[in-house]
Order: sequence, then structure tokens, then C-alpha cells
Amino acid sequence: MRLLIAAAIAVLSSFLLVSSHALADKGMEIALEVIKRDQGWGDTSSKMTMVLKDKYGQSTQRSLRNSSLEGSSEGDKSLVIFDTPGDVRGTAFLSHTKKTDTDDQWLYLPALKRVKRIASSNKAGPFMGSEFSFEDIASQEIEKYTYKYLRDEKYSGVDCFVVQYDPVDRKSGYSFQDTWIDKSNYIVLKTEYYDRKKSLLKTLTFDGYKKYKDKFWRADTFLMVNHQTGKETELKYENWVFDTGLSEKDFNKNMLKRVK
Amino acid sequence: MKADFLILILTGVIAAQTATADGEVNAKLIADFRSYPNSNAGTIDSGQSLELNIEAYQDFGTARGVLELVARIDDQDTGRRILDARQAYVSTELGGVQVYVGNRQEFWGKAESTNIVDVVNQKDAAADQGGAGKLGAPSVSIEKYMDYGDLQFWFMPNFRELTFNDADAHPSGELPVKAARYQRAEGKNADDFAFRFSTVVDDWDLAGSLFYGTARTPIMSVVDAGKALEPYYPEQKSVGLEVQYTGDATLLKWESLHGKQDSKDFFAAVAGLEYTLYGVLNQVWDLGLIAEAQYDERPQAAAKRFHVGGLRVTLNDAEDTTLLLLTSQDEAKDQSLISFEASRRLNSWSSIDVGAKFFDAKTPTSVFGVLNDDDAISVKLNMFF
Repeated sequence: MRLLIAAAIAVLSSFLLVSSHALADKGMEIALEVIKRDQGWGDTSSKMTMVLKDKYGQSTQRSLRNSSLEGSSEGDKSLVIFDTPGDVRGTAFLSHTKKTDTDDQWLYLPALKRVKRIASSNKAGPFMGSEFSFEDIASQEIEKYTYKYLRDEKYSGVDCFVVQYDPVDRKSGYSFQDTWIDKSNYIVLKTEYYDRKKSLLKTLTFDGYKKYKDKFWRADTFLMVNHQTGKETELKYENWVFDTGLSEKDFNKNMLKRVK
Repeated sequence: MKADFLILILTGVIAAQTATADGEVNAKLIADFRSYPNSNAGTIDSGQSLELNIEAYQDFGTARGVLELVARIDDQDTGRRILDARQAYVSTELGGVQVYVGNRQEFWGKAESTNIVDVVNQKDAAADQGGAGKLGAPSVSIEKYMDYGDLQFWFMPNFRELTFNDADAHPSGELPVKAARYQRAEGKNADDFAFRFSTVVDDWDLAGSLFYGTARTPIMSVVDAGKALEPYYPEQKSVGLEVQYTGDATLLKWESLHGKQDSKDFFAAVAGLEYTLYGVLNQVWDLGLIAEAQYDERPQAAAKRFHVGGLRVTLNDAEDTTLLLLTSQDEAKDQSLISFEASRRLNSWSSIDVGAKFFDAKTPTSVFGVLNDDDAISVKLNMFF
């Protein structure tokens, strides 16, 4: 009897092992497809309004400009320039994403004309006092997570895969992220972020997807709701532009001094 | 002075009206209220100033013109009154290098408590604005950006003197400041040269620089039987080195300056450590711990060795509230300085800064002993247009 149970457990656990491998493989495949379908975008720039709302509905706004360059051997590079509020006007944030290593980040302080290299282990910290953390706005490299396919589910009438993204970096603020991916276009429609205690922390929803260059989908509204604080941040993008002629040298740290 | 101020405002308004898509004009108005709780008899115990900054740029094809004007009026301290083109330059790319002609502001350095390698600009010390208070450096400079690093070369034909507060204002030595003397025969018209190479190797930011010219900080001496102060600007030839290691939460910093000043060898260095604790007290607050050691053999230094400890608190809130507390003490435990700065956004067009500085010294004739009555508490209201 005991032997039988042991055998059953062995069979069952090997079955579980196989199936969890299969789920991981399927999750990875979906995540890879999301990235693959978005490959070749080259460079983009966009304008953005960030609306911060506290739990009482009081809102404050900031406007920024964003430009990005697709990486080949290394990760993407991005530059964010702040236009308002007045006290941060001209401040710029440059990030060189690394696929496995920690990202390189610099901050330009216009009053001092100082370019400051900053420690990037602060992944979980808020970006500009918003509900987006630095890791939420960083480019999503495939190597930064492990994946698990959870189920198929409809999200706002669209057939989706639900895939769990598990951050590799232990400094991430999340234990995992559940992501709803549109089955036909392989674009992310919703992400639920779970904190280190595995409680639901935030939900990010994407809205107003448009197709650019006949291939690349970009949303114009990102809404991040923090369930634990009641605060939310909305990012509204306007005029996504592709092929703006940006190159590596536009993402050199010394360019920060000349950013306008 | 008032007429200059008016002209500046008008220029700004006209420029704002004519700005096109290839250019922009912005203005900032700073109302500064200061109190001196420990002021000596015969010196002012409070002061107010109003500063207007106008920043504009205009692109002409691949060339760019940049203008950054500073106009400051002060109710009592003539030393703080200024009209300066902190930046007024044209820049263009010529044969693969970026060329700049005119007044420019530049920053070199890595440390927090002092930047000994930051030699390009003279300081607007009277403004007491820390690193932001600089005078434009009239210059021709070129920069070349390469895959393995960046080069800068500066030619500065006109020296600018440090600004001083009035004898009855703060901080001051309570004595009038006489015309400066120079070691170099051409005085103010002697040419200064600076060169810097900077590069990034993984987690290391490195830079090396050379300077030949007139020292930015004068050596002060009491003259006329104790009735006046006289600044003396020696010649300086130096090699600067800057290193920053950026770890996960740890920054290691090094700045050193090695060379000859007033025909004497000198060495100065700052070594620093900054460690940040993220999300302290279960909040989104960050706490930065700063420790720096300063060493300076030059007579301008208040003491040869200072130890600096500090705390930086970043609340990461919608108002970007930050607090910085720094304490400095010399090795002999004679002179000390405690400074505090806090800033917070009020709304989309204004922010507030609160600052305090307290000097202490056992020896009244030491530098901080002289500055003992210059303890200051300030409130600054910044408005952006």
C-alpha cells in the first residue's frame, strides 16, 4: 500500500513537474511573442501628461517628454525631460537598460548644470512621486522575469492569455505580476502587481491602443491604481512619433546638458 | 540698478512674445527672506532680496543661442545686488566638435559637501546659493563626444572675481574688501585654460582634468592696520581627478586636486560615501546617509581636515519634499558647521525652500570663529513663469 502511494506520488509529482515546465514554457512563449511582435520599432518620441490623484480625488499634473531608442545587444535607452511643474522644468532622466545587470541611470539638475549618476537599485521606489515605480517605467527585457501561463480569460470582451511574470531581481518591489495579453495582437491590456507579501498592490490598465507603422501597437492612456493607498496615476500620451532620427549619441550622458 | 531690472523684465517679455517653436523663454522669480539670529552689533539682523532669472534659447538650424540672465536686488546688501549673464553663448557643431562661444556655466565634480575640481566658473559667493550661485565664465570652449569618452577644452580670457557681501551683511569678515591683487602680472586679463576627459566604465564614472590659470578662491588677508580685507588671487596649475563608483545602494566618491598654487605645491581631496535606504519606516521615503572627508593644504581652507556627516530624506511624495542635514567639523574639533535645507513644491508654479546654517568655533580668530555671527535662517519662495 505504502509503496503504491509512493509510486503514485512519484508519478504525480513528475506529472506536475512536466506540467509546470509546460506552463512555464507556454508563459515564456507568449512573453517572447509579445516582445518579438514589437521588435524593430527603432526609436520613438512622445509627449506625456502625468495626472496624480490622491484618495480624496485631489489631482496634480506634470508634463514630460519621452524619447526611446531600441537596443540590440543591450537593452533600450530612454530619456525623459520634465516641462512642468516649474520647479522641475529642464530636469532630465536618462536610463540605459541592461538585460541582466542593473540599469545605468543619470539625472540632470538644471540649476546646478550637474549630471549625476544615480544608484538604480531603487527599482521599487516611486517615479516622480507617482504610483509608477522605476521598474514599471523601465523597458521590459525578457531576461528580467521568469514566466508562467495561468489561464485563458476574457478581459473587457477580448480573449486574453493570463501570464504570471516573476521578477528575477530580488530588489523588485513585486512578488509577481499577472498580465492579461490580447490573444490576437499580443499586446498587454492589464497588469496586476502583487507586493512582497503577495497581496494585490496595484493594477495597471492600458487604453486607446493604436497601430503605428502598420505593426507597432501603442496605448495612449496608462492608468495605475494603487489598491492599498487609494491613490492613482494616469499617463496620457500624445503624438507618438516613430523614426525621429535619434541615434546612440542622443542618449549619451553628456547630451543631458544640451537637452531643451 | 532698478532701471536694469526693468529693462531685463521688458527684454524677457518681448522675447517671450517672439519665441517660436525652435526656442523658448522661461522666467523664475525668487523672493528670499533671511534672518541672522546671532548677528553682531552694527551688522544687519535680517535681509530680503528679489531675484529674477530669465532663461531663453533659440535654435538657428544646427546652431543654438542660449541666454540665462540673473538680476538680483537686495534691500541692504549691495554685495548681493547683481546683473549677470550666467549664460550667454552661441553653440554649433564644427568638424565633429561642439563649439561654444560666450558666457557658460559648467559643473565638474562628484562629491556632495564641496567640489574642489569644479574650476570653470567663479562663484557668486555673496548670493549664498551653494552650487547654483555661479558667475558666467566668458570663454571659448569645445567638446568632443567619442565612444570611449568625452573631451572638453576651455579658454577663458577674462577672470571674474569672487563676490563679497557688504561688511555689515552676512556672511562677512565685517571689514570692507579692498581691490584684489594678482600673482599673474596681467591680473584680470591673464588667460586661463582647462581641459577634461571623462568616461564611464561599467559602474565607474571617471574624469581627469588639467587647469592653468588664476585660482578661483582668493587668499584673504587683513590689511591697513586691521581696517580692511585684501583678496589675493594666486596662480594655479593643477591636475584634477574624479571617481564615482555606483553600486546598488552605495555611491563611492573621490575628488582630488594636485598642483602648484602661489608657487607652492598643494594637495586637496574629498573622499565620500553615500548609502541610501529605500522605503524606510514602511513608507516610500528614502534615507540617504552621507559621510565625506575633506583634506586641503591651501591657505584658503578653513582647516586642513574636515569630517562631514549628513542625512538626506526624500519623501517621494507628489510635492517632491526633500530634506538635507549636513554637519562639518574640523579635525581639531574647533570649528563646526551645521546646515539644513528643505524644499517642497507648493503648486504647479511655485515652491518653497527653507534653510539654516550655524557656525561654531572655539577659537574666535579661526575662519568659523569670524563667521560665528553669520548664522542664518532663510525662507525662499520660488515662482516659475
